[in-house]
Amino acid sequence: MDTPVIDFHAHVSRLHSMDEVLAKYLSIMDAAGVDRACVNCINADARSGNELAARFVAKRPDRFIGVAFVTPRYPHEALREMDHAFDDLGMKSLKVYPDIGLPMDDPAYYPIFEWANERGIAVMSHTEYYSETSTLSAPRRFIGLAKRFPRVSWVLGHSGNSPQGQAQAMDAARSGPNVYLETCSSYGDHGTIERLVEGAGEDRVLYGSDMLLMDARFQVGRIVTADIALPAKRKVLGLNAIEVLGLDG
Amino acid sequence: MSRAGVDRALVYSTRTLSDAREGNQVLLEATGNFTRLVPQFVCNPATDRLDDFATEVSDRQVCSIRMFPAHHSYPFRDWAVESWLEWLASERLPLWIGADEFDPSALHDTLKHRPDVTVVLCEVHYIHAPWATLLLKSLPNLYVELSCVVGSGGIATLLETIGEERVLYGSRFPDSPMAPQLYNLHRSELSEASLRAICSGNLDRLLSQGG
Repeated sequence: MDTPVIDFHAHVSRLHSMDEVLAKYLSIMDAAGVDRACVNCINADARSGNELAARFVAKRPDRFIGVAFVTPRYPHEALREMDHAFDDLGMKSLKVYPDIGLPMDDPAYYPIFEWANERGIAVMSHTEYYSETSTLSAPRRFIGLAKRFPRVSWVLGHSGNSPQGQAQAMDAARSGPNVYLETCSSYGDHGTIERLVEGAGEDRVLYGSDMLLMDARFQVGRIVTADIALPAKRKVLGLNAIEVLGLDG
Repeated sequence: MSRAGVDRALVYSTRTLSDAREGNQVLLEATGNFTRLVPQFVCNPATDRLDDFATEVSDRQVCSIRMFPAHHSYPFRDWAVESWLEWLASERLPLWIGADEFDPSALHDTLKHRPDVTVVLCEVHYIHAPWATLLLKSLPNLYVELSCVVGSGGIATLLETIGEERVLYGSRFPDSPMAPQLYNLHRSELSEASLRAICSGNLDRLLSQGG
């Protein structure tokens, strides 16, 4: 299958040697057939994490796309950091991580989302839902966000990560045209890709791996071997990401 | 299976989680006419009589056993499973056990005195990987099944640590699909011989030892 493959969900970390990480990334991406990966760093304060991600991308800008990370815990710094990350470092989208303790639709996030809405960028968040005991990143929270911030492309990392979470994620995708579902999961339940494409539409599903936590070969394999039509596979593997990120095909 | 390119599958019944004996009967009824499904019995040392179980295994020509210590509420310790391990060793039947089903130290302490029992560690998620790798290095009679090995370079790490002879392809179907791990294996720069060993040869060898 000759088609662009873009990994929408990958991380770099300060815990490793950058050159070792780069070599491992490229080795696995080449083996999996991945052309480009969107990388963020959520292991550090926003400034140093974004700088690290930018340095990593700069080593192979033909293979990596920078993703900024900010936290609403420091709202004024967050807005300055987004200016820096997008205007100086060339980041293409934003990652937030609500499991730091604030639910995804907490008003503390709104200045960040307003900034993103003005720019019309993609915002990806970790999402999961298993029960009502923990709903910080429940996919249903994106239904209101997508309406309130309509120029943001909302990307639900892991698509809720459980059958119940996936059901919420598909509801969110059906609720508006600006909600996308990202596929990576360490569980990889049988039929997940088929369900997401059926429930959200083939234009709304994005391949992601969660590298270097998970192996891109397994995660690409979930798409390539799914029981969906070839045009849908091509969209999920990369064409949708090109559209969302505004990349040259 | 046909779509994924899987010829045969070793299967157990999840009914065994609540009642091992009933689940094994359900399994036999379900697999009876399908030669591509190879039945695996589950034993519960807390409730099953070893003599009766051994007779059933022999009569049905079952070639592997699985235990669920956590689900069935018994420890994987000598005083709980010793007679069952002696029987497995005498019959050369391999034992499957999930990574969430036991205390790693208990399994280590029990198996280090039983090098004649072959155990397959299965459903090894990335959260288990640190201790599972140490356990595999420590116990030469411990094998690993790949259904949940999805960490970056996880398969390569296992092969470097214990070699290809103790690594088995598995899917956890129908909870997980069969094909993605095969896709992963076929893109892991393995030789044809290594692929054959992991995808079928090692399991065939284990299953043919018993009886």
